[in-house]
Amino acid sequence: MTNPIFWVGVLTLAMIYSSLAMALNVESGWGGMWDLGIAGLLAAGSYCYVILTSDADLDMRFAPELSMWVAWPLAALFTGLVAFAIGAPALRLRREYFLITTLAFAEIIRQLVVIQADLTRGTLGVPNINRPFDSFVTGRDYNYVLLGIAVAAAAVMYLVTRQVGVSPFGRTLRAARDNEAVALALGKRVNRMRIKTFILAGVLIGATAPVYLFYIRAVSPQLFAPGITFTVWTALVIGGIGSIRGGLAGAVVLIVFTEAVGLIEVDPAHINILVAIEPFLVGLLLVLVLRFRPDGLFSERSAFGAGNRPSRDSAGDSRPAGATQGSGG
Amino acid sequence: MELVLDTVRKTFGGVVAVDDVSAVMPQDKITALIGPNGAGKTTLFNAITGFDPPDRGSISFGDRRIDGLPPWRVAELGLIRTFQTPVGFTTLTVRESMLTAATPHFAETPAGALGLSRRARDHERTAEARAEEITAELDMADLLDVRTDELSAGDRKLLEFARSLMAEPKMLLLDEPAAAVAPANIGRLSQLVRRLCDERGLGSLIIDHNLSFLMQIADEVHVLDRGALLASGPPAEIAANPDVMRVYLGEDKESDGSPPEAASDTVEGAG
Repeated sequence: MTNPIFWVGVLTLAMIYSSLAMALNVESGWGGMWDLGIAGLLAAGSYCYVILTSDADLDMRFAPELSMWVAWPLAALFTGLVAFAIGAPALRLRREYFLITTLAFAEIIRQLVVIQADLTRGTLGVPNINRPFDSFVTGRDYNYVLLGIAVAAAAVMYLVTRQVGVSPFGRTLRAARDNEAVALALGKRVNRMRIKTFILAGVLIGATAPVYLFYIRAVSPQLFAPGITFTVWTALVIGGIGSIRGGLAGAVVLIVFTEAVGLIEVDPAHINILVAIEPFLVGLLLVLVLRFRPDGLFSERSAFGAGNRPSRDSAGDSRPAGATQGSGG
Repeated sequence: MELVLDTVRKTFGGVVAVDDVSAVMPQDKITALIGPNGAGKTTLFNAITGFDPPDRGSISFGDRRIDGLPPWRVAELGLIRTFQTPVGFTTLTVRESMLTAATPHFAETPAGALGLSRRARDHERTAEARAEEITAELDMADLLDVRTDELSAGDRKLLEFARSLMAEPKMLLLDEPAAAVAPANIGRLSQLVRRLCDERGLGSLIIDHNLSFLMQIADEVHVLDRGALLASGPPAEIAANPDVMRVYLGEDKESDGSPPEAASDTVEGAG
């Protein structure tokens, strides 16, 4: 119905959001840290990459014109550093207090980008981001290269986050999320583990940032409004928070659905109505998923060997008259 | 080695929850801490385990001062506590909960997760074998792959105990292990605690309301009343102490001197 290039772009975006959702899942799904500062970390990684690679003739105060292959890992590390700076104070808080603090930090980062105009070009933004391989492949064909990069990034993200999830580290993270007091009583350094996880998520988001820039091609502060954080969260919730594949599946469903809504053919006079109901349709999708699959498309339960849900009765009755059976005492 | 409390005091606002308690609890003995509701038993537990550090006084385990240490550090030194309400790691299976208790710090970092070392893998394998051994010993091997929030209250209690053993404790601090346990099973529970402690050379400090249970297994009993230590001694002596009677009854009505709960429960509980 539309040309394939359009869908290549949609899939590229879906892969980028998948990567972000999988990174978010490590800290929020398993770590229990409800981070609303994804946009801020993405901004930190993006601007680090942009500044390190920008052309000197853009008149930015600091333009080392590094190779993108050097700048990419540096952007990831820098974002990890920013995550540490945010996490150190914010992780003293819990739950909604943590959540609102991370949201505030993300806005602070965005405002800093605007204010530090001689370093970031402020609201002017930076056009023509350097992209890998664009001297070999040009024009529309480059979209396929971009899709390849995004798929590779998502694949690496999947492998890394899955390894974290199935490792003893991931298990202890989930344990501390479920019951911090018990984890402490077993000698777990809960705070230290959480800050490390927060930094890890920062590094992963920072590593995704350049891919996002390759796709967007130009960067400006308004890209990093909180909306992007909520899209990543919606993708993760649809896919299944705490699962291993959830972020991947959720982002594909959400982004493809959102873009497909834009393709509905309506009378040109009604196009603004369609635009207006688009968020409504996305909300409806979220409600329907949560109504019929409350744990998301993939659940944490299915990801971690708890097997099929045994009925409570059979779990109780199959016990021989054990030492502490029952609740009579 | 022993757990030593020296004039430990803890106040909340104007209320003195623990009032200059001094006691010595040998690491290879089972010590019971009893007292009516609000006597300060759990507060004392929280003070020992670092969850709620004392205002004054000192707590030491072996030759180390432990008051003021964070809970995870106290646990690392071998003092492993359980909780009154056995919630546990709700979404983890019994197996995962057991393994979590045994996971060493070096495996609990992102780097440890990504480049899982041979050492960590070996550790994991040993822990897995121990988890199976302990659950078999506690007669709950069939529950290994059941999620904690799907266990019965009694099984969660048992898991609380099993998980603590996985952490290789030097001394267990059990907060009301007999609560929510059917009276008919109290006898088995006390035998189990006794046997596991004896086999492993483990000591424990046990809080409970169930006097028959404590009298069966404790080597030494401390009685708390309104934050202060009222009496200490072997179970038989405590059971005959008129002060203890008064605390449990409100006033001294009975003449045979044994606490009423103990008197009525011992017979059926021992079975």
